Amino acid sequence: MDRGFLLESLRSALEAIKTNKLRSLLTTLGIIIGVTTVISVISVITGLKQKIATSFSSLGANVLYIQKYPWVMGGAGVDWWKIRQRKNLGMEEYKALKEYGSSFTYVAPQISNRFDVKHGDKKVDGVSVDGTTEDFPEIMNQQVKLGRFLSTDDIQYRRDVCVLGNDVATTLFPDENPVGKTVRINGRVFTVIGLLEELGELMGQSMDNVAVIPYTTMTKFTGRRRSLTITVLAEDEDEAREEIRWILRRVRRVKEDEEDDFSINSAGALTRQFNQLTRALFIIMVGIAGISLVVGGIGIMNIMLVSVTERTREIGVRKAIGAKSSEILGQFLLESIMICFVGGFIGILLGFSLTKLISLTGNIPFGMPIWAILLGFGFSFIIGVFFGFYPARKAAALNPVEALRYE
Amino acid sequence: MNKLIEMENVEKAYKLGETEVHALRGLDLTINKGECVSIVGPSGSGKSTLMHIIGCLDVPSFGSYNLEGRDVGEMNDNELADIRKELIGFVFQDFYLMPDVSAWYNVSLPMIYNRIPPRERKERATQLLDSVGLSQRINHFPNQLSGGERQRVTIARALANNPEIILADEPTGNLDSKTGEGIMQIFNRLHEEGKTIILVTHERYVAERALRKIHLKDGMIEFEE
Repeated sequence: MDRGFLLESLRSALEAIKTNKLRSLLTTLGIIIGVTTVISVISVITGLKQKIATSFSSLGANVLYIQKYPWVMGGAGVDWWKIRQRKNLGMEEYKALKEYGSSFTYVAPQISNRFDVKHGDKKVDGVSVDGTTEDFPEIMNQQVKLGRFLSTDDIQYRRDVCVLGNDVATTLFPDENPVGKTVRINGRVFTVIGLLEELGELMGQSMDNVAVIPYTTMTKFTGRRRSLTITVLAEDEDEAREEIRWILRRVRRVKEDEEDDFSINSAGALTRQFNQLTRALFIIMVGIAGISLVVGGIGIMNIMLVSVTERTREIGVRKAIGAKSSEILGQFLLESIMICFVGGFIGILLGFSLTKLISLTGNIPFGMPIWAILLGFGFSFIIGVFFGFYPARKAAALNPVEALRYE
Repeated sequence: MNKLIEMENVEKAYKLGETEVHALRGLDLTINKGECVSIVGPSGSGKSTLMHIIGCLDVPSFGSYNLEGRDVGEMNDNELADIRKELIGFVFQDFYLMPDVSAWYNVSLPMIYNRIPPRERKERATQLLDSVGLSQRINHFPNQLSGGERQRVTIARALANNPEIILADEPTGNLDSKTGEGIMQIFNRLHEEGKTIILVTHERYVAERALRKIHLKDGMIEFEE
């Protein structure tokens, strides 16, 4: 297309929008709402996904958490009552998995609790204390930077030993080597045998405010009746899942026609569930956006028809001085696209602000992908072309004599 | 003489509601290059329709119209648009200027459709406005100009693509006689420069300017003087 003609059409379109500011703005309301919805939904979901992904990364890839309850309850046909009545997971299940499992290398039981940890007059509140076994660091991908981790003997003899996380160690032992010293966990004296490598922060929470003790020692605090979490490092998640089900169903004597009475949780499964949830949300929001965009498009068509009627004589003059029908068509199509772009632009700005607001108030990372902006403009363009075509064609088809005579 | 417009037995009928109006009923007309012709007649005599057909805004229902030897009746919309762009300049009674752009932009509009580059456009528009005595009004908007000045802008616009024919429909209809006289002088000058001028009017002093006066009545040529 010729540049001069394009510029003239743009000028004319902007002039038309300028002369009818309020009318143009009201017309684009549908598009503004539609684009705002699309942009903010995409951005918020993107931000949420980022948040979830980083949160899940601490759960470890290929780590299965075998527990009494599922992490996420939901979906059709979930019998909450039945789940409530499940038997606890105990050492029997752990031992069976350790003995018969072949699709995974490491298995560890885990009981977690929050306790205060003291040394002399120093104290750390609410330390996350894990009772577990020697396989734990392999599964959780944790390194010991000083001393050693728990040994099989520590477990077997229920020793009062502990490995400290970095936060706990630096608070209690600001300028001395804690290995070999003692701490009080929940009032009981433990010997520090090692220090864990720092993990840093996740979503503003320190992951180093931890202590690890033998699983067997933990039961001195909690008793033996608490249900275990059994963690497994799988090589292939699906294969491991099948094998674990097979073993546990036999150990727990689950009848052939009954469902599992335990849950195998994992970051991957949780991500999948989350993605399913967001997909549903996404479809709903896209539906809403789509409706408002169509409504907006009809508004555009309506206003363009008005514009064509109002400017019938101008069209006649343009034709008289040599404009081709295709050029009239192009001019009005461009005008409709411009109106939609104005709406799209406002929608993108509003979507941006809304996302910013949500991310600030909801503590979600701000994630507005470039393609969401392009999508906003893309929608505006398509609406402009689609709903502007009929009025533009009507303008182009005007008979010049009649258009010039039009009062 | 060089024949520019040749019409033979041209008829034009169109529907006005239920009734069919025969605006032109078998009209023969030849206009040579460089002529100055006025078309006069009472309202309803078909002079507007004739002007539309000469100006290629409309095509005859019957008969033939050759413009520079090309059969207009056979042309499609795009070809008609090209003819209007290159061969014909319109001057309207009500000026029909774009209200939201300046005088020079109005003049350059036909050149935009003729794909003239911007620099040349501005140059030529300025030159044309100068030639109609509006060098001081180049950046004025139509509503800042008097009726006579607006009509001069319209004439400059008609000349933008250097057409063969200037078609003026009651060019002085909205002007007082003194201003109208000024406009007519411009047409005289253009005629002297070799343009073919066709004036549709019912004002005597306008018609008198032309060497040839064609009287229309009921869609036919009544007489010529």
